[in-house]
Amino acid sequence: MANATQTAGDGGGAVAVRHEFDAKARSQTSIILGRFVRHRLAMVSLAVLVLLAVASFVVPMFLKFSYADTRAGSYLRPGGGHLLGTDQLGRDAFAQLLRGTQFSLAIAFTVAISSTIVGVLIGAVAGYLKGLVDSSLMRLVDLFLIVPQIALTALLVHAFAPSWYIVAAVLALFNWMQIARITRGEALSLSAREFVEASRASGGGTWHIVFKHLIPNMIGTITVNATLSVSTAVLTEAALSFIGLGVQLPDTSLGLIVQDNYTQVLLRPWLFWGPFLAIVAISMTISFIGDGLRDAFDPRQTKVRA
Amino acid sequence: MRRSKAIPAIAVMAGAALMLTACGGSSGGGQDNGSGSGGLASAAIGKGESGDTYTAPKVNDIGPVVVSTDKPFTAYNNATSDAVQSYNSYALIQVLARPFVLDGNNKVLLNKDVMDSVEVTSTSPKQQAPKIKKGVSWSDGAAWNCKDFYLAWLAQSGTDLKPDGKTTYFLPGATTGYSQIDSAKCQDDQTFVTEFSSPFGDWKSLFGISDDLLPAHVLEKQTGVSDITQVTPKSPADILTKVSDFWNTGWKGFKADLAPGSGAYMISDWQQGSSITLVRNPKWTGNPGGPAKITLKAIPDSNAQVQALQNNEEQVLSSAQPDANAAQTLQGLGSSGITYGANAGLNFEHLDLNLKRPIFQDEAVRKAFGQCINRNELVDKLIKQVQPDAKPFNSVIFFPGMPGYADNYSDKLISNPATAKATLTSDGWAPGPDGIMAKGGQKLTFKISHTDIPRRKQTVALLQQECKAAGIDIQDDTDANFLDKRVSDSDYDVALFAWSVAPFHSAGITTYKTGGNQNWNGTTSPAADAAFAKALAQTDDAAAVTDYQTADKAIADTYSTFPLFQPPNMWAYTGDIDKAYFQSYYGSMWNANEWQKPNA
Amino acid sequence: MFQYLIRRLLISIPILLIGSFLVFILVASAGDPLAGLRTKPGVTAQQIHSLSVQLGLDHSILVRYWDWLTSFLRGDWGTSVALGEAQSPVFTTVSSALWVTMRLVIGAELIALVLGIGVGVFSAVRQYSIFDYLMTSVAFLMFSMPIACVAVVVKNYGIQFNDLLQSLHLKRWLTTAGPPPGGFGSNLGQVIVSYSGTFLLPTISLMTISFAAYSRFQRASMLETLNADYVRTARAKGLSQSRVIFRHAMRNALIPVSTLFALNIGAIIGGAIITERVFGWNGMGTVLVKAVSNYDPPTLMGWFAVTATVVVVFNLISDLLYGLLDPRIRLG
Repeated sequence: MANATQTAGDGGGAVAVRHEFDAKARSQTSIILGRFVRHRLAMVSLAVLVLLAVASFVVPMFLKFSYADTRAGSYLRPGGGHLLGTDQLGRDAFAQLLRGTQFSLAIAFTVAISSTIVGVLIGAVAGYLKGLVDSSLMRLVDLFLIVPQIALTALLVHAFAPSWYIVAAVLALFNWMQIARITRGEALSLSAREFVEASRASGGGTWHIVFKHLIPNMIGTITVNATLSVSTAVLTEAALSFIGLGVQLPDTSLGLIVQDNYTQVLLRPWLFWGPFLAIVAISMTISFIGDGLRDAFDPRQTKVRA
Repeated sequence: MRRSKAIPAIAVMAGAALMLTACGGSSGGGQDNGSGSGGLASAAIGKGESGDTYTAPKVNDIGPVVVSTDKPFTAYNNATSDAVQSYNSYALIQVLARPFVLDGNNKVLLNKDVMDSVEVTSTSPKQQAPKIKKGVSWSDGAAWNCKDFYLAWLAQSGTDLKPDGKTTYFLPGATTGYSQIDSAKCQDDQTFVTEFSSPFGDWKSLFGISDDLLPAHVLEKQTGVSDITQVTPKSPADILTKVSDFWNTGWKGFKADLAPGSGAYMISDWQQGSSITLVRNPKWTGNPGGPAKITLKAIPDSNAQVQALQNNEEQVLSSAQPDANAAQTLQGLGSSGITYGANAGLNFEHLDLNLKRPIFQDEAVRKAFGQCINRNELVDKLIKQVQPDAKPFNSVIFFPGMPGYADNYSDKLISNPATAKATLTSDGWAPGPDGIMAKGGQKLTFKISHTDIPRRKQTVALLQQECKAAGIDIQDDTDANFLDKRVSDSDYDVALFAWSVAPFHSAGITTYKTGGNQNWNGTTSPAADAAFAKALAQTDDAAAVTDYQTADKAIADTYSTFPLFQPPNMWAYTGDIDKAYFQSYYGSMWNANEWQKPNA
Repeated sequence: MFQYLIRRLLISIPILLIGSFLVFILVASAGDPLAGLRTKPGVTAQQIHSLSVQLGLDHSILVRYWDWLTSFLRGDWGTSVALGEAQSPVFTTVSSALWVTMRLVIGAELIALVLGIGVGVFSAVRQYSIFDYLMTSVAFLMFSMPIACVAVVVKNYGIQFNDLLQSLHLKRWLTTAGPPPGGFGSNLGQVIVSYSGTFLLPTISLMTISFAAYSRFQRASMLETLNADYVRTARAKGLSQSRVIFRHAMRNALIPVSTLFALNIGAIIGGAIITERVFGWNGMGTVLVKAVSNYDPPTLMGWFAVTATVVVVFNLISDLLYGLLDPRIRLG
């Protein structure tokens, strides 16, 4: 397998090492938090996301109609207690939207968190240890990668009852390889750097180096990837719903609601724009939060260090 | 009368491969019970129709036309068991000539462009003798004659047993009707004589309506058999093997020289999975068709079909699996010159209550479940967006418009949760703390199982709410593979699916007779069993209808199966076409040869 | 390098074998190919049995896999078993679908890649500028939109544009449903018009999401390299800004995005499902959806095998790109 020869880097590694140790001495967490809090866009996004999440659970308690209530007529226009009108079955579209938000958030976070943890660990260990461990882990990645996830997900979802956690589990199962490969690439590159060699020379174990040196130095890539994978999860699920192989009733998701209503954009725009904006809002706020985190985590970031 | 006879047999054919149709969309549906948008009723009648005959009318050349539908054309030989599907007929109706054709109302018409007459020469035993017009030929120049009829029988007789005595050489999708033909021979090139061993009322459906007449001369040439009429179901194995191998597989794919046309059009191009193109048949002796070229495109997403129609990429749209949004968009496009139509399909969605489950052995429970069902709401919310004049469906044997159709269910599925509750209470059920009825510690809860079709999920969602008020707790059980095995293993509480054929007269027997082959929910009704037995023994069709009616009623009284509605078909066309209609079996292209510009 | 390639190829073979075996088991256990027949009226148990013998369902899964593999390698990919498919040969189905999808996807991906890298680099260099915020918002917005919605809206504008053309007495140009049935035309002018009209709308909707992903990735990795010490050193050496950005920073920053591109190919093939469906193309996505919902194991296996092979090839390319872009990684 690829044996990265440990040639010297560009000669700047030592600076990075010193900075990192400096940061540590001044409690890394508080510095990162401080940086994050100062990131306005990220903070606003976080507020919006939290608000959205809380609202999706709290607001339904105060609505006139429950999400399952089908007593109203089909496709009523907004008004009369139906904030966004009703859907084909006469269910309140706003209550549906809130419920879809709950499910979508649950799916997205389950997928993103589990797949990122698995992917980063495997990728970092493989890239750092090289040799046999790397080969075998990467063969495992290859094995999962040779089949497009959406295909196997569709097959599995078709075979099993498509409740939200099955969909989330299957999506996560086929979503960790990308981050693993990217992490490995970075780890290969990083482990050739002087500060890693220095740490190794001073007796740092594998896990120590992975957690203390590799992962913190890859945090930019990891967070960008993790945030992207939250949106990916929402959108992949929506894609599956579109072809009829995603989450299914009685469970629901924003994707399912959008797919039910995507052709309404001209006919009944209120049905389309509600779930559409909810998906966009979730996806965008998470991405901005990811950006904020990236800036905050970056130990080499000098701009906001003061 | 005639029509009603023809339908069952055709339905057997068309439905054979489409049982438990996944999307409720199989063959089309074109009922004459006033469905379809009012002004379109005239479109159901062909321009070339005159009495009981049809002759292609003289029309103007309107250039190329593009038609879309849900699924692609797959096979020129649409009679093999692996191929038979209605989407093949959509194109073949214009490519392969047949002695009888159907109009939009399913009226049987003698095709005078290719036939002189079809006579019943004797009734006992029944003999049929089509006389073919002289000079009719395939697009490759060979004569269209008795041989082609003979091949259809040979391949579908079902008597060509292999030495093992169990399997046949030819692998047709169905042998209905053909298996009752004792002998078939060509008196001369123009006259084909068949003799039936037992009465078969729907004889007109054979040789062309329920299947196609394939080019026997192509098969002769490919197999080296000099005269196909010398081959019989009892011919030597090597000959039958050769002939049947070609019939079973030789017409797969598309090779222009193997797939000539005998109708007004012939196939010029086939893009597997996406489109088939027809051009005028130069050897056609009747009046040539209006469109110079017809492309039948498969666009599975009905909303995409709508946009293609709006964009004038296609002039005619047809869908047996319509989507409510697409239908509503189309209905709003009248100002852009688009005409919309919808009619009920020839299949019906129903609920089967599994009598093998203890909970449903209690008749009060079955009755109460029926009483809380609101079929009008189902139709209003699920069907009317596509077909504004849709109604609940009320029989398991007959379709509306057929003699014998009677309403056996409106007094049982009454949409009254209070009555349902009372029915349960008088049987000893009492509401529990959660509002769900219970008796002897047993809660009144069950699952409705179905495949992952959106309309089915919506149906269950509505039923859940309707019956909640009666204290009945319904769980949704969506299982994509439900129809694979579970349904036939009786592994369900309540099953929700569509029958496209079985309810028709005799076909319904296996489903509803005690211990019938497909009686998976354990329906038992001595009265129905007796009526079925009586019906089978009837020689008179009208008398048999009465017996089937009795059976229909008796089955309804068991409260074990509840028919809900008929899924609709829809079609639409742009201002470039004068009129189009969705024919039950042949889709929108049944009269494509007649299409004109509106003012031509 | 050559040796490395050979070795990777040799390693790929057992992976493909193990992968195909696992997928075979998965596919085999996901349904029953005779389900449609079981519920047909008048089909006897005897018929079902003889058919299942014909399909080899009475053998163990190992035997069936071996049979499939050996005939697959001999070029016999089998035929569809789905009812109504008339035993269409899997090879033709899958290869023609792959061709359709590739035509649709490659152009869109290349445009998305070039635009994405360009925008990503520029955003990173001008971090926190108005351009950066604007592009970030645009990318996130694109990334967040369900592709079906994009496609419907894009098609709608396409139709309106056509109406406009027609009102100006020009021919309708853009199409929304698949390639033109009669081919693209005979002379070059016609071909260009009809080709562009056919591909423009699906390309736009395919591009959107890929572009967003590429530009985000490129921006992130570019920022990382711009902050790296060797770039600072390069600056300190007094190299010009453009030389620093393009020769030093961008070269390294291309690693993640090139990997993403190569890795993405499998996802892209499958991910074109929505676009294909909405635009009525009979590509890999359409074939997959049909094979899954009809439960057609031979077609599914052919589909997986072809896609897997394409992915393996692109993985190799991705590894090679590593080596080319990052000289510290020597492939030996």
